[in-house]
Amino acid sequence: MSLLLQGTATDWVFSVRALLPVVLLALTGLVVFGINSLRPDGRDNKLLALTSIAGTLSALGVAIWYLLAGTGQPTHGGAISLFSGAIIVDGLGLFFTAIFTSVATLVIAASYDYFETDANPASFYSLLLLATTAMGLMAVSNSLATVFVSLEMASLPSYALVAYLKDNRGSVEAGLKYFLIGAVSSAVLAFGISLVYAATGSLLLPDIAAQIGSVGDLNGVLGVGIVMVAGGVAFKTASVPFHFWAPEAYEGAPAPVSAFLSSASKAAGFAVGFRVFATAFQPALDIGIDWGLLFGILAVVTMVLGNFAAATQTEVKRMLAYSSIGHAGYALIGLAAITAGASATNATVMGAAMAHLFVYGFMNTGAFLFIAMVERWGVGRTFEDYAGLAERAPMASLAMAVFMFSLAGLPLFGGFLSKYVLFLGAINAGFWWLAAVGAVTSALSLFYYSRVVKALWLEDATTDLDAIGDAPTGLYAAVIVAGVVTVLLLPGFGPVIETAEAAAAALFA
Amino acid sequence: MSWLAIGALALVGIAIPLAMIVVSALLRPAVPESGKKTTYESGEIPTGSGRVQLNIQYYMVALLFVVFDIETVMVFPWAVMYRSALEAGVPLSQALLPLLAFIGILVVGLVWAWRVGAVQWTRSIRAATQKTERQNT
Repeated sequence: MSLLLQGTATDWVFSVRALLPVVLLALTGLVVFGINSLRPDGRDNKLLALTSIAGTLSALGVAIWYLLAGTGQPTHGGAISLFSGAIIVDGLGLFFTAIFTSVATLVIAASYDYFETDANPASFYSLLLLATTAMGLMAVSNSLATVFVSLEMASLPSYALVAYLKDNRGSVEAGLKYFLIGAVSSAVLAFGISLVYAATGSLLLPDIAAQIGSVGDLNGVLGVGIVMVAGGVAFKTASVPFHFWAPEAYEGAPAPVSAFLSSASKAAGFAVGFRVFATAFQPALDIGIDWGLLFGILAVVTMVLGNFAAATQTEVKRMLAYSSIGHAGYALIGLAAITAGASATNATVMGAAMAHLFVYGFMNTGAFLFIAMVERWGVGRTFEDYAGLAERAPMASLAMAVFMFSLAGLPLFGGFLSKYVLFLGAINAGFWWLAAVGAVTSALSLFYYSRVVKALWLEDATTDLDAIGDAPTGLYAAVIVAGVVTVLLLPGFGPVIETAEAAAAALFA
Repeated sequence: MSWLAIGALALVGIAIPLAMIVVSALLRPAVPESGKKTTYESGEIPTGSGRVQLNIQYYMVALLFVVFDIETVMVFPWAVMYRSALEAGVPLSQALLPLLAFIGILVVGLVWAWRVGAVQWTRSIRAATQKTERQNT
């Protein structure tokens, strides 16, 4: 019996303080339940939205505060290990938590208007908050067990969120497809974890790394396990070969949920992928398990497929869904360009991928929230239906133009610098072909992104736009804030990339 | 070489059902009869359509059950080591508090589900009329 007690004792106050962003999110979720339990018949949309935003904003504030104060970073005593090493608080975790909470804040502000007529908005807000909590946990997971549990914790609310419009066939169908593919890829991930455990005898990421050198005959088992874990990451990030749920789910889901999934959920998948592969599986490169090449191939296929498919779409939301797959391909360069023993270049390129996900969080969320606004106005879904919207909603259309050009990587907005640093990092690491494919597909992406801007600003309205009278406050504010941040990230990109590269460097140290 | 056994097992596993189907197809006489095409209802003559609708509300109860089923799985190992943990000098804040927090979260969820009417048995008007129709005939 005494054996059970041999782990290091956990100081709860210290753990709560180290995990404060995640704890705040979870508490806010419970408070939302509490408010709704007290007044189950009152809709309280405003109160619930304000409570949720207060929760995500305070979590964001704490994450930024910790990042600035150097919590868990090499300058201040290194990563904080909690619960016998199953959780680790470091720069990477805090950086990704900042992404999730910013996206969640924007999405909640937009949902306040989007679900104005919904019967019970409390379930929406609580699902969103709990999913964000789980993503925060994914970013600090340091054991394959916590990785799997937190990934499931993030996935289950996401399925419900996609199918949230219960009376809408498209929404329910999208939720079912997402759930089925999610269940399959969870099984693949769990199988992969079991194989990695079979080969190395540990679930803790640093222990796996220490054991990989001595797996001997079991390196085949280990290799299959690593490929399967990569499959789980590919599902969460909507990369080839587990990408095909994304267009269906993003198109059918309510647009704020699409924004949340394509920005925050994708970033959470990368948080797990970066930490697991950099910490645990890096020594596998030395014994001939070249997962870097695997990710290189996946990155190329994902970039090409996402961008070419996006170019052929007729509906704006579906186009954005495929473009989001393409951006997963860009971020995959951060994993593909990792080579054994090259700590400095590895950290540079992974940090660039993290910074790209940060910028992407704002520009992509903003773009989907613009679509949420258009959906709320009741304008159609195709490019033609968007024609002439700039006349009726100039500010929002201007923000949408910013998002589109930033996603394409025009050198006016934040999206340019992050892509530039990412491709430069890939070239410096010796992967010029990844950068070349990225640059070519980015050029192609300008074609379909500019179609939206052309429809908004240059074409005359084909439909009657008189119905657009009101400007929903929350949605409008969210779109404008996302647009302003996207613009400000051009001059303000320095601190973001420095933080990201410092966080990535700590992984490779 | 060790995979050879698994391959052989898979082959045998596929071969046995296939062989059964083929052998029975070769041996049995063909007697077409309409009674063979009806649904098997343990000898009863089937009535009504096969599309019976079950009440979806059972699934809510099942969901809540699963939550508390898992809870017992979590509580059991805690209960087994609780006393010895206290004897070993682990403070209450580490032996009891985590479990209380865990159960507290579940209680918040249960209270919420209760209050928003997840466990309330809504009355289906259609089912009620069908029932009275059956009683009247």
